[in-house]
Amino acid sequence: MDLILVNLIDGLVTGLLLFMLSAGLTLIFSMMGVLNFAHASFYMLGAYFAYQISIALGFWMGLLIAPLVVGVLGAGVERYGLRRVHQYGHVPELIFTFGLALLIEELVQFIWGKNQLPYSVPDALNFTAFAISGNSIPAYKIFMIFISISIFIGLLYVLTKTRVGMIIQAALSYPRTVEALGHNVPLIFMGVFGVGTALAGVAGVIAGPVLGTFPGMAFVLGSIVFVTIVIGGLGSLWGALIASLLIGWITTFAKSYNIEMENILTGLGISKPESLDDSIFRDFWSLTSPQIADILPYILMVLILIFRPAGLFGKRSS
Amino acid sequence: MSTPALELTGLKKSFGKAEIIRGIDLSIGKAERHAVIGPNGAGKSTLFNLITARFAPSAGTVKLHGEDLAGLEPFQINRKGLSRSFQITNIFPAMTVFENVRCALLWSQGYKYSFWNLVNRSRELTEGADRILDQINLLERRNLPAGTLSYAEQRALEIGITIAGGADVIMLDEPTAGMSNTETDYITDLILKVTAGKTLIMVEHDMSVVFGLADRISVLVYGEIIATGKPADVRADARVQEAYLGAALEAEH
Amino acid sequence: MTVSDPRTDIPKGARPEEQITTDPSKPAQRMRSGSLVLTLAPWVIASVVLAILPMVFTNNSALTIMNQMSITIVFALAYNMLLGQGGMLSFGHAVYAGVGGFACMHIMNMSDFFSTIPLVILPVFGGLFGMGLAMIVGAFSTRNAGTVFAMISLGVGELIAACSVIIVAFFGGEEGVSGDRTYAQPFFGVEFLQQIEVYYLTAGWVVVSAALMYLWSRTPVGRMANAVRDNPERAEFLGYSSRWVRFYSFVASGFFAGVSGGLFAINYEILTEENLNTASSGIILLVTFLGGVGFFFGPIIGAIAFTLLQTVLSLSTELWAFYAGILFLSTVMFFPGGLAGLLMMHVPVFKLGKASSLIKPYLMTLLPAAIGLMGLAALVEMTFHYRHGATGDNEMTVFWTTFDSHTLMPWLVAGAITLIGLGIAKVTAPALREAWSEATTAGGAS
Repeated sequence: MDLILVNLIDGLVTGLLLFMLSAGLTLIFSMMGVLNFAHASFYMLGAYFAYQISIALGFWMGLLIAPLVVGVLGAGVERYGLRRVHQYGHVPELIFTFGLALLIEELVQFIWGKNQLPYSVPDALNFTAFAISGNSIPAYKIFMIFISISIFIGLLYVLTKTRVGMIIQAALSYPRTVEALGHNVPLIFMGVFGVGTALAGVAGVIAGPVLGTFPGMAFVLGSIVFVTIVIGGLGSLWGALIASLLIGWITTFAKSYNIEMENILTGLGISKPESLDDSIFRDFWSLTSPQIADILPYILMVLILIFRPAGLFGKRSS
Repeated sequence: MSTPALELTGLKKSFGKAEIIRGIDLSIGKAERHAVIGPNGAGKSTLFNLITARFAPSAGTVKLHGEDLAGLEPFQINRKGLSRSFQITNIFPAMTVFENVRCALLWSQGYKYSFWNLVNRSRELTEGADRILDQINLLERRNLPAGTLSYAEQRALEIGITIAGGADVIMLDEPTAGMSNTETDYITDLILKVTAGKTLIMVEHDMSVVFGLADRISVLVYGEIIATGKPADVRADARVQEAYLGAALEAEH
Repeated sequence: MTVSDPRTDIPKGARPEEQITTDPSKPAQRMRSGSLVLTLAPWVIASVVLAILPMVFTNNSALTIMNQMSITIVFALAYNMLLGQGGMLSFGHAVYAGVGGFACMHIMNMSDFFSTIPLVILPVFGGLFGMGLAMIVGAFSTRNAGTVFAMISLGVGELIAACSVIIVAFFGGEEGVSGDRTYAQPFFGVEFLQQIEVYYLTAGWVVVSAALMYLWSRTPVGRMANAVRDNPERAEFLGYSSRWVRFYSFVASGFFAGVSGGLFAINYEILTEENLNTASSGIILLVTFLGGVGFFFGPIIGAIAFTLLQTVLSLSTELWAFYAGILFLSTVMFFPGGLAGLLMMHVPVFKLGKASSLIKPYLMTLLPAAIGLMGLAALVEMTFHYRHGATGDNEMTVFWTTFDSHTLMPWLVAGAITLIGLGIAKVTAPALREAWSEATTAGGAS
């Protein structure tokens, strides 16, 4: 029971972190129809910028400034890159963001090198918040949950209660109409792109110290984020939240409980073959859940796409 | 009486709570030229989309030559001999004019998904495509990308694509929308020429086109057909006058 | 609108001259034989060039590079069956090549069976396995084009790449699977011990697969792939199911990707996780796009250019991936038609006989621009060296010049070259633009 609670908290941390990325990504997608492949790269930039700032001004200034810088960069990418490519169609847009992701990774290696940076949890948060039957929960995790939830509430507030949010919501479904009403839709696009990437930046700032700040970090998380919004349903904010939490918990539980495929298969009444070494299924029999934890999201995605192509909460299929 | 080419029975369509098509019964005979007219928002395009399975009907049936089309995909309906054009020009802009027409011929000439035939080698395909280009007067443009044609030429090409497959029921959605008078006359003649002997169902706004082309006219108002008949009868119908024609005819004069 | 531009749909050999065959006013027979020569010419020339190349570049490393090129050409052409012709963007196409390659490795290791088949037909098995996988995945992924297809391709790609460390029996875990090609039945006495023999095997397969893929694009299903790419809805009203058209393209592409995997297996005799992962999938996208997706021969140019770039640059700089990234991004932004698009832009100029009027403006702009970019690259290299060079090791060599990166002088020189080069290019650019618009307009003095 206690272990379940610990895992619930761990899964929540992962899920909320995913959500900070997937929320921005799905907003950008539903607005502009572009799946930003480089989204996780902005998350990585967040971590690197925060590290650089934290050396001079400390962790808290990093948390404050780095996302802003990332957001401005993101808006710049939209304004000077994406908008230009937009005229060629969706596929080149996707290819553009893909190329951008490659380039940012190279750029980060160029500036900061290939090794992991010593970006670590600030002293102020480096203690155990509480313990659940011997399993200590670090204060930093609680801090991460706190930050993510406040961002989520803030986002919800802006989108549903403010005028800007109304315009954004309207522009999501009827960009032409909103433009006809005299709103500057390109500016809204740039703004949403900037805010979305800034959110990714925040995620990077707070995840960098625990998940590691290294050139591959965008790649590690990036594809999971795509999987998340596909499972949740492209363009659905609620879908992104549910899918993020789902993936966070599934992977955490799969890692901490060592469920063996052998037990499942024998439980299903399939008998284990005598000479396993010769069988092409030998690896299948010896599978354990921690082994496949990282690919569970992909399996889930493929299943979702087969049985419910629009995703859990998606309205449109393309 | 023989089986009608197209028969609609109790056809209904709702989007959420809004009932766009409220029960349509219509029977269109073979080789008849039938026009559907009505004010904006009457549901004309929706009706087209229901017949061609772009939307699934909420109730009712569509029968093509007596055969129920329920549950069929657009491409299956097309194979049964029904072809349509679109309100917004719908061609393959990056391909040449000739390619556009040739693609439209492939299925009807039995090529299906084959990858053991070379399209360049087939005399029937190239000659067939050229014949259609000749009919729609685009032979000179055959090697240009379709996207570079003028608007009227693109509409002509779309009609060419629509008839190329040899379908005997042709549906045209506002073929003369947005055209000048000369262009309209040109397209009207073209339609008369290429649909000879076929069943034609068209949505059209231009009254001169409708009365010049159609054997029979249906007037669609708020998802219901309020009158069907010969042009003269429809013109004389008091309800039609009131709902639609009066205003339109007044505006014309 | 998809990736294509208006010129795209007329691949090599299908230029208007050839299509004149169908002009009803001309006797078709005579024209047809003329077009046959036109169609065959590029293939004959390519085969001859491939046959002669190893006599020009005789050393083993050149052969290795050429083999690498050939494999990439097959893979890139297969990839372009999806991207250029079918409008489907895949982020995980390496798995089809990879699975085909792994299958070939396993066949190599089944010595009883392997010794009964000649090595030259091994890639067919790679193709069949790639095709089989494509059939399974395509069954659900080709329902949509566009973003959803791209996402599924990425997900499936990641899934299979991740499986490579789990399903050790097939993928061999981290060490991969290795084998020996020479155990095959000798092919007319050739045992493929030597690099040159492998070269001719690979080259032969390039010609055969390229020809088959070209012919595919001329078949009904290949033509409809273009139609579905441009306008899936209209294609449905021509009697074709967009989904099935996509499926067939996908499966065919999977086959040829598998063939390229088989060629890889023959050349390197080892396959690892690297053959499957997203990085490999990304590279093939890069190669294809760089070459140009709009023309059949685009990916060929892309594969040649990229392989050269990779070998030359990676020998001289650690930052080659960085430059490749910049090149790729600027291609997407400024030349979406790729190298092939750039080349084909000049066809009308040649037809008008005005090519010579472009030489001088080109030199005036491109030469300073190139020098400026070299200066910029030098600055980049110096920055990199300054930041990451080992302490005490201040010496570096850029463009055959050795200097101390911690002194001011080289920075000034490189900066000046950059500014002057790009500055001149900026000044002369309007003249080039003018010359270009002059050269592409019919009439006037040439």
